[in-house]
Amino acid sequence: MSDILQLESILNKDYESVDLVSFQQWIENIDELSKLSVGVIIGPSDDISLIKGHLESLELIALDFNNFDDGRGYSHAYLLSKRWQFSGEIIGINAHIDQLQFMIRSGVTSYILLDSYIGLNEEDYADGFSICYQEAANNSGLQQKY
Amino acid sequence: MYQYNAEDSNFLVERVDQFEKQLKRHLAGELDDAKFRSLRLRNGLYMELHAHMLRVAIPYGTLSSPQLRSLANVADKYDRGFGHFTTRQNIQFNWIELPEIANLLRELSDEGLHAIQTSGKATRNITADPLSGLTEGEIEDARPYCELIRRWFNLHPEFSWLPGKFKIAINGAKLDETALRIHDLGLRLVRNSQGQLGFSVFVGGGLGAAAMIAAETASFIEVEDILSYLESTMRIYNLKGRRDHQKKLRIKFLVRELGAEEFSRLVDEDWQQTKNDSKLKLNLVELEQLKKDFSLPIKPIDLGSFEEKVDFNYSIWKKNNVRCHKIGGFSIVNISLTKLGAAPGDATSEQMRILANLAEKYSEGELRTTKRQTIVFPYVRKDQVFNLWQSLEKYGLASPHQGTLAQIVACPGRDYCDLAKAVSIPIATRVQERFNDMKKLLDIGDLNINISGCENSCAHHHIADIGLLGMQKNGEEYYQITLAGETLHETVIGKKLGPSVSGENIVDAIENVVNVYLEHRQNQERFTDVFKRIGITPFKEKVYE
Repeated sequence: MSDILQLESILNKDYESVDLVSFQQWIENIDELSKLSVGVIIGPSDDISLIKGHLESLELIALDFNNFDDGRGYSHAYLLSKRWQFSGEIIGINAHIDQLQFMIRSGVTSYILLDSYIGLNEEDYADGFSICYQEAANNSGLQQKY
Repeated sequence: MYQYNAEDSNFLVERVDQFEKQLKRHLAGELDDAKFRSLRLRNGLYMELHAHMLRVAIPYGTLSSPQLRSLANVADKYDRGFGHFTTRQNIQFNWIELPEIANLLRELSDEGLHAIQTSGKATRNITADPLSGLTEGEIEDARPYCELIRRWFNLHPEFSWLPGKFKIAINGAKLDETALRIHDLGLRLVRNSQGQLGFSVFVGGGLGAAAMIAAETASFIEVEDILSYLESTMRIYNLKGRRDHQKKLRIKFLVRELGAEEFSRLVDEDWQQTKNDSKLKLNLVELEQLKKDFSLPIKPIDLGSFEEKVDFNYSIWKKNNVRCHKIGGFSIVNISLTKLGAAPGDATSEQMRILANLAEKYSEGELRTTKRQTIVFPYVRKDQVFNLWQSLEKYGLASPHQGTLAQIVACPGRDYCDLAKAVSIPIATRVQERFNDMKKLLDIGDLNINISGCENSCAHHHIADIGLLGMQKNGEEYYQITLAGETLHETVIGKKLGPSVSGENIVDAIENVVNVYLEHRQNQERFTDVFKRIGITPFKEKVYE
């Protein structure tokens, strides 16, 4: 568990540092935090619907994918990106190299792999698929057969 | 017969390539056991008691002769010369060496076969009536819908890491050969009052330790809306399903805890957001193409003055294993693989090749697998049934016991399975030895006995006339008996008879149950009808007297 990110800030796509707060902190201090440019970390068990009405005030959202078998983050990514049209970044943190295809297609815009994958060439582990069979938040680069 | 095109075949190869990389990392110590377990299960690979087991998908139970030959080759090259047809229409190989798995999967992919999502916490193989398209009164052949839904949930980015496994069955016939209401999700093709085609949706069924019948969450969903409705169902499950308790992972527990009404409301609320999304509509053009691909390869024939052959064994076999076809001049033939002492559903590579050849000669090169672990030849000319029977007889595949009580469904049990608490196959053998009088077997008729070696209920014991569940008591094997389960006309979970019975006494108990049935049967009543009429008490009194 030592390589799990315990983030207090994260770099956005412009390489600027953005402060991160936990979902609990966000919920408890919505009024105050909405005025600041912060990001929120959402874990699998967090009730993402609570954040729906406040998306405009969030710069980015970090979805925690540490638990390999817990797939709730994929639905969170879908809801944020596709249904609620969240315009900020959706960053998959504590990500696993074997699950990148699912994260990205669900709507995650960038990711930070767990430290245990450092040094691995991501291209070697890219899924290598040329086709997909279903509509998804992000099907770029895939021939769509459905 | 429908076949994958070049794009689909390429997808299978890409999936094998991906898994091979993961396997190499695991063997090199770069991918830990827990993660590899999750990844290998999604490719159908289990670690069993003695070796790795691979489950290969037979989507909706439809198989071609070349595909069956390919499975036979795998049995010879990578297993010990046999495979095991399962109650969910798939096939399993029990003696696979881990380093060989990629080559094996590549060989299968040449014939459009794969093991994708045959295990793991994702959408599994979609099952269908093995008689799809063949019988009168059917609403529609379910297989084109199975194929479109199978594709849609194939490596679905949002729903590949669900709380638990997710089994779907689709039925388009009057009788329910699929047992759809014991599935996580069952779809029944229906027409509404305007004659429009759609689906009734049932969610939250399952067997196992807590057997439940699926609740109807929608009485009519239009065909083109089904994908978005299924996505909403899975989304609610993915987000709210239990992940904190290993024995409560399946959707049935969520439906039970929320209540079917509240679960349906949540699904509907989610669905209202997506039902008008044109990109989530089922592709009706593709559906029409698939209907053509799945259309029957035969036309009615007039056999004129054809006369049936007279042979005692043939007529017994025919009575139990040959059914009317909706196309004039044709029959549907059921072939059992059950042999005394062998696991029901086991087939040797030689048997597979024989069946593949016979299917080419007599059944347009198509075969179907069934949840009774038998093989169906869907297109046999009536005037060739006798010739087929002779060939089957020659190869030991036409025992007159087929279609009788001796046709037992059983899981591999403790002889092979790591999870099993008790043996299954030896019990099946003992029952077959006890009921070896052909006259009595014919008198009893088609009475199902299903034997599961543990609560996972792989042999579907809850829905058999007589179900046995293996368990351990003080280090000894015992069997809990359930009676009068069924799914064909209605879905009923079998009733527990009473205290479990020791392995030593279980065959006597079964015989007693059968004798009570025969004693009380009026006319040609089925077992379940007798049970409904007389109740459980006479059975209980006889077994525990």
